[in-house]
Amino acid sequence: MTQRSEKQGIESAAIRSRNRFSEEKVAVIVFIIFALLPIFITGYPIYILPQYMLFGVLAMSLALLWGFVGILSFGQAAFFALGAYTMGLAMQTNFGVNSGYIGILISPLVGGVLAAITGYFLFNAGVKATYFVLVTLALSIMIEQIAVSQSDITGGWNGMYIDRMPLTFGTFGEISLFNDIPAYYAIFPVVIAIYVFVRWLATGRFGKILIGIRENEDRMTALGFNISAYKTGAFALSGAIACLAGALYGAHANFVAPSLGGVLFSTEVVVWVAIAGRASLLAALLGGILVASLSNYLSTITPDYWQLVLGIIFILVIVFLKGGVAGAISDLSKHLQSKVKR
Amino acid sequence: MSSLLRTEGLTKHFAGLVANEAINFELNTGSIQCVIGPNGAGKTTFISMISGHLQPNEGRIYYKDQDITKLNVVKRARIGIARKFQTPTIFDELTAYDNIELAVLGTDCPYSDRNKNINEVLEIVHLTNESDKPVKFLSHGQRQWLEIGLLLAVKAELLLLDEPTAGMTVEETESTARLIKHLTQEFQLSVIIIEHDINFIRDLNAPVTVLHLGRVLMEGSFEQVSANEKVREIYLGHGNANLA
Repeated sequence: MTQRSEKQGIESAAIRSRNRFSEEKVAVIVFIIFALLPIFITGYPIYILPQYMLFGVLAMSLALLWGFVGILSFGQAAFFALGAYTMGLAMQTNFGVNSGYIGILISPLVGGVLAAITGYFLFNAGVKATYFVLVTLALSIMIEQIAVSQSDITGGWNGMYIDRMPLTFGTFGEISLFNDIPAYYAIFPVVIAIYVFVRWLATGRFGKILIGIRENEDRMTALGFNISAYKTGAFALSGAIACLAGALYGAHANFVAPSLGGVLFSTEVVVWVAIAGRASLLAALLGGILVASLSNYLSTITPDYWQLVLGIIFILVIVFLKGGVAGAISDLSKHLQSKVKR
Repeated sequence: MSSLLRTEGLTKHFAGLVANEAINFELNTGSIQCVIGPNGAGKTTFISMISGHLQPNEGRIYYKDQDITKLNVVKRARIGIARKFQTPTIFDELTAYDNIELAVLGTDCPYSDRNKNINEVLEIVHLTNESDKPVKFLSHGQRQWLEIGLLLAVKAELLLLDEPTAGMTVEETESTARLIKHLTQEFQLSVIIIEHDINFIRDLNAPVTVLHLGRVLMEGSFEQVSANEKVREIYLGHGNANLA
């Protein structure tokens, strides 16, 4: 009996690890494709892709919150824009070292601290998920309004120009990121690094506890978990990642305007994640990239109706695919696997 | 045997309704105490005050001679007081293994021992063969056991079980009584059980506290309690249990 159960325990562990690594396999393939892409394609797509990858990171920051903890945020764009403005202000300041590096270091702190403070008060007060959504919505509006009104610092409606940072290596010289391909290969590894880091957290103790909170808050509390602390931590992490992605976006796009932090863009992020599937970080990352690309493409062929098309896709996914495209693929593969077994 | 849990004059009123009135209660380490009483007797209120889900209006709760009256649910869980709710409160979408793992994550169990601890708990609650199934597919009895498993995995010392055999078959009920006795004998766990099922209480053969209208009506062995005229009257008067 004991032997049998032990064997089954090992088998079940094997099944678990197989499932766990399947997303990583797909991730490796996807990243290899993206790494090779500039060999086959040139011009505008290679210019714009790094920005869409950063949209993907932004989507991932939402998936961490929405997919894992079950908390929806309409404030992700606020953190993204905050990051871009932080980068812009850092680039205008002379720190004696590469200002871009300072911007990259400071931006996640800015986003993380803002999210931590907001989350601390809301979650400790036991605010329900629905009210939390409203507060994040307000956060988006506030950031956009501050960006408009503080025109001395932010440039107001005109936006802010941001120099593209070079990669410096101290006394070893520097690489200009002015051209598309160096810029592509500078942003892309950072995107991978962020994905690997978030994925590592999400599959570890922290991520499991977040899933527990999503599944049953009462049970987690009764087991002795301080759920408001974990929710605050998740929101802070999500804000930090969104802000970092925004800083890199600002550096690459060379420009940030108030609308980047607005409700409209925040809503777009929610649409990407809902379509792609909020339970998977890789799906969110790809969702950001692909849906943003699709939007761009649609807006060139049908400038008047592209948002309508996107809206219809969104509704279809919400109605027919609860777990988004990734959820549907995962269900299908499970279904096929069980058929093969039989 | 030393006293693990003690309440002094525990009182809870809900807008004038007396839920619990001056309850003095004591539980020794490694022992079982059943709390019975008709609906509305204040059993769940009593357990909720011990778990920290409700604050008493008056009275004190001592756990290991420490006054824990003001501690919240999370802090009480951390010092070893864990509760099983009336309806199984588990992680429906997750597998039995993942359920237990979450509880283990709440302890200081090192990573290398995690898998071993989880499998041990699954074995104790007879769920080794179901470890890969999302627990929403388990039978009602198995779900009740899984919740007890969560309390074991989090290394609780005092288990508060609110109707642990509700919805169970006769065999499952007997098996649960064996499981709970095993836990107290093998691991020196202490258990407070709220139950309606008289057969289950008879199987446990543990001391019984009878609550009626928020007060302790009597305490004693199962035989003493079931022979008591007043207790019979309450139960037969409500017609929802047969003590014979």
